[in-house]
Amino acid sequence: MRESNGTEITTIVGAVLRAMGATLKNLFRKPITVHYPDKERTYPSRYRGLLALTYDKDTGEENCIGCRLCEYVCPPAVIKVEMLKAEKRNYAKTFTLELYACEFCELCVQVCPTDAIVMMKSFDMPTADRREMLLDKDRLHAIGLKYEPSWATGNLLRDMQTPPKAPAPAHKPAATSPSSADPVVPRVETA
Amino acid sequence: MLDVNETTRVEMDWSGPERLQMNMGPQHPSAHGVFRAILGLQGETVVDVDAVIGYLHRCHEKLSETLTYAQYPSIASKTDYVAAMTSEFAYVMAAEEIGKFEVPRRAQYLRVIVAELQRIASHLLWLGTWCMDMGGALGGGATIFLYCIREREDILDLFEALVGARLLYGFFQVGGTRYDIPDGWIEKCRATIDRIDSRVGEYEQMLEDNAFFLARTQGVGVVSRELAQDVGIAGPLLRGSGVNFDLRKNVPYSSYADFEFTVPVETAGDCYARYKVRMVEFREASGIIRQALDKLPSGPISSRPALKSVAQIRIPKGEAYARVEGPRGEVGSYIISDGSAKPYRMKWRGASFSNLSILPHIIPGHKVADVVAIMGSVDPVFGEVDR
Amino acid sequence: MTLAALPPWLMAVIASFIVLNVVIGMVTYVTLLERKFAARMQSRIGPYRVGPHGLLQPIADALKLMMKEDVVPTAADRHVYNLAPIVFLIPCMLIFATIPFAPGLGVADVNIGILFFLAVSAMEIVGLFMAGWGSNNKYALLSAMRAVNQIISYDLPFIFSALVPVLLAGSLKMSDIAAVQQGSLLKWFIFYPVIGQLAFIMFIVSTLAAENRVPFDILEAESELVAGFRVEYSGMKFALIQLGEYAHMIGSSFLGALLFLGAWSGPGPEYLGPLWFLLKAMFVFLFVTWIRWSFVRIRVDQILALSWKALLPATLALLIATAVVVVWRTSAGI
Repeated sequence: MRESNGTEITTIVGAVLRAMGATLKNLFRKPITVHYPDKERTYPSRYRGLLALTYDKDTGEENCIGCRLCEYVCPPAVIKVEMLKAEKRNYAKTFTLELYACEFCELCVQVCPTDAIVMMKSFDMPTADRREMLLDKDRLHAIGLKYEPSWATGNLLRDMQTPPKAPAPAHKPAATSPSSADPVVPRVETA
Repeated sequence: MLDVNETTRVEMDWSGPERLQMNMGPQHPSAHGVFRAILGLQGETVVDVDAVIGYLHRCHEKLSETLTYAQYPSIASKTDYVAAMTSEFAYVMAAEEIGKFEVPRRAQYLRVIVAELQRIASHLLWLGTWCMDMGGALGGGATIFLYCIREREDILDLFEALVGARLLYGFFQVGGTRYDIPDGWIEKCRATIDRIDSRVGEYEQMLEDNAFFLARTQGVGVVSRELAQDVGIAGPLLRGSGVNFDLRKNVPYSSYADFEFTVPVETAGDCYARYKVRMVEFREASGIIRQALDKLPSGPISSRPALKSVAQIRIPKGEAYARVEGPRGEVGSYIISDGSAKPYRMKWRGASFSNLSILPHIIPGHKVADVVAIMGSVDPVFGEVDR
Repeated sequence: MTLAALPPWLMAVIASFIVLNVVIGMVTYVTLLERKFAARMQSRIGPYRVGPHGLLQPIADALKLMMKEDVVPTAADRHVYNLAPIVFLIPCMLIFATIPFAPGLGVADVNIGILFFLAVSAMEIVGLFMAGWGSNNKYALLSAMRAVNQIISYDLPFIFSALVPVLLAGSLKMSDIAAVQQGSLLKWFIFYPVIGQLAFIMFIVSTLAAENRVPFDILEAESELVAGFRVEYSGMKFALIQLGEYAHMIGSSFLGALLFLGAWSGPGPEYLGPLWFLLKAMFVFLFVTWIRWSFVRIRVDQILALSWKALLPATLALLIATAVVVVWRTSAGI
């Protein structure tokens, strides 16, 4: 225990007043609380929220071709897909995603060749029963139509990781809405 | 040479001792996770401590044998979940060492920026929870806790803009990183770092000369230099006891050799010394981030093709141990690869696991209230301890 | 039938009934005040949703506590355990008996008002120890032992620092002390040169410690001994203990306002006196709360060392100095 003598009293008193002054200063600062759910904070464009399946913008067909790459890459193995073969292209017969066990790691989005599975900019799925979070294909499509998708789709993420060598890419990475455009810092291929 | 298996027992020379065995159980507001300490008390003094861990064991090492190198980095963040970036860093570095993969310069700089931001965030959490343990959830400790969390939220916002997630990232990938920085991130990062620097200055002002704080932390939990080196602790615990060892300087990895920073070392070995070490580390980390942002090279962020399938990353046979200076100490990952897409064996060296072994040596002799102060300054995260 | 025609015992009963109810009402809303004040200091908003800006939160809390299941540990000492909250609460309520809220408006403004207040407020330690002992819980016992140490050590400086205004006023009667401070702002004892300020600071420090507030709240120490001596209490018994703690807190604030801040003196007409008194008591309470939310706590041996080695000699010296100054002033006629 420190001995108290005259000079130390001033240090102690000074320190006490400084600490109290810091608290007082914060008393007059605006609180940083966001009144959720009345107001929501703005989520960044790459936000990893709920998962959803998408439709093609031009044709309106489902993007998912049932290739099962997402099922194999998922670390906790929450995705189950059955493929349905058809003449022009394949579809997913069933697509189940156990959202209660999902880690939100975005690996399924990363590997999807057709940008079929994406994450939304919302996590709004409060429920009292975990079984309601077992999403089937219809619910995944419904989520895709209800919320705003995040910027990250499979092709964009793969282009970011390794940019395509050809100057004119076959797919259009700028197919996202302007408000969620997330242009990457321009890079030059260096040695 | 110290016999590290011999734990300290303090014999009180009162006649008719009344020894009370108190369980600071796994559910406890200041156990920093799930930690059980069976304290033997004599009055108010701890004479004996028996540490029990394992409440958070989730079989990470076995799990890594079933997951490929592409999948596991997202899981690796869950060991040290407070400093997720450095955990992933160790695993990915070990895999790259076996496969002898080159990591592009830009990816290395991004890794350093992200690791240092994570260090700041982790130290903010440490400061908040430590003061809360010492000050009470209804008291001044909670005030400092909320201020630190307020600052930590800014860093988590940066990570959210970069990766999309706030706590567990999956940012690292074998060969580089998975994400590149978006527009406007650099300016936001600089503004955040400046703001955090000034706020940390405010906290120092609140705590540094504070007689209450000094009374609680000076002379408490002294770790002598010999004890520190014999028991095998690392990180701010080691540097608070006078040993100048920081992996970023002594065994430079990634691009740390490009940056100028000093390693804080204090000789007192008590809780206050460790506090000072971490406070200086805040500033040094901000300095490193600023340098990295200034010198950020352009280029690819991965030397391997983009992740398209789960078994894409195959690593030749071999084994390697990679070490990273996490906020808590040395986080290490030892991988034995058999040429396939999954490791044959992976072992984590958890920084907090080794740091916890100092507790039976330094707690006996202190009062019960000091136990929480010491636990806080050791700063364990039980995801790392139990894996 | 005028008020003066009622028999004195009936008047006392009515007065104490009113005072008790007002105190209980104040206690519940003082918790809300503390929560909002603390929240603003921490950059957040306190209770907000229950009622407009959280104004119905204390009612919700009270209802919840009343509806909770009363869990009694099997191995607890039943009689001690059940009696403890009541024994704790009674002294904390009794202290309001002697406080005059306006000249002539008090339950029992006895000649030894201050002595009664200080003596009775120290009796809460009995209830506290009963709670810790009767719970049959090591954490509670540890906390109760610390509590006995701490409250006994800090009652002496509390008494001595409260005696300084008594010496300055020359009477133990509370309304006399308040009456001396009427008239002008500078007559308040807190503005008495040097002695007043020192006494006020020591009073605040002793109050913090006698109240188990941070930085002296080692006995509840949520992060070590979760809730300390109250850990085994739930429901209405816990509510009684909470009530007692906050009532003691408010009582000490009122005492502080009366001793140092001039009680009911303030601008405006006479009937505003109790309002000023209330505002001053709230100011003292908020000051204590401000300190509470700014510091970490210190260990029990450091608390005891602070009391016996620093605060007690200081208050004793201050008391002697006050006596000397008072004698010198009366003899010199100023």
